[in-house]
Amino acid sequence: MFFLSLFHWCATWAPIVLVRDSKYGMPAVQSVHLTGLTVFLATMLILDLRLAGVGNRESPLSSLARQLRPWMAGAASMVILSGIFIFLATPDKYLSSHPFRVKMALLCCAILFHFAVLRRFVAAEASSRPRRFNVMVALVSLTLWFSVGWAGRAIAFIP
Amino acid sequence: MVFPSLSLFDLCQWLEHTPLATTINESLWLFPVIEGSHILALPLSVGMIVIFDLRLLGLAFRGGRITDQFLRWSKFGFAVMLTTGVLLFISQADKAYGNRFFRTKMLLLLVMGINAAVYQFMFYPKMAQWDSAGKTPAGAKLCAALSLVVWIGVIVCGRTMAYEF
Repeated sequence: MFFLSLFHWCATWAPIVLVRDSKYGMPAVQSVHLTGLTVFLATMLILDLRLAGVGNRESPLSSLARQLRPWMAGAASMVILSGIFIFLATPDKYLSSHPFRVKMALLCCAILFHFAVLRRFVAAEASSRPRRFNVMVALVSLTLWFSVGWAGRAIAFIP
Repeated sequence: MVFPSLSLFDLCQWLEHTPLATTINESLWLFPVIEGSHILALPLSVGMIVIFDLRLLGLAFRGGRITDQFLRWSKFGFAVMLTTGVLLFISQADKAYGNRFFRTKMLLLLVMGINAAVYQFMFYPKMAQWDSAGKTPAGAKLCAALSLVVWIGVIVCGRTMAYEF
């Protein structure tokens, strides 16, 4: 398997070994993952709650989305890059983990839903559609993203 | 009358043997669920404060006047944080007591409390005025910068303490 040998080669790459085998290396990378997650999910909450008509109603949806975008993208990069690092430090641990597979599947669904549906919903003003559609899309979006988080937490508890 | 001499450590040991702590520790799913809730309440509590701080520093939401909303939401987040945090502590009080990162986290939370109180009394009462005028006082910016740094410190300490349990 090409990918498997690539992962194993990465796990022996000097910078990864240095961080993994140092005392506070992994907690530090995990902290970056958590800090990024905090900001990313906060921006998603603000956007989805506004779409559902809860709070921040005085600012137009599309302008709120535009103002949130750099922070959302920046935080997402923090989470993804630190996540890849954590995975490559001990690839076998994650490849054999069931919650990890669920997490990746949920992550794909969340990303797909974000670009295929949510992006379109926040581009136009919320009042242009019946409110129940907006609420439904916001609920699906938040459920997907928070499920990714729960699946991530489950890696520590379920084999 | 003899008073039993009680230290903070004795209190922690007593806490860990209360029926509540035993229930959490003996259940297969209670601890993971409480810990998961503690972590996933981060966006609603710390996340909202971070966005609020970024707004005060002029780094996010330069246009609108939307700051109050985030503070209101963060109260729900902090309610979940406090409840789940206290439960997590009770179930592992013995180990948490001697943990350097747990102690640092508590100290940082104390700093955070003082910082929030300073903001609440000095800058919040007139926020509507200076916020809509786009003139954030330097002191309020200082509070926001301190808040950003200290909250990141709280997350780092919270994550790292688990490695030394």
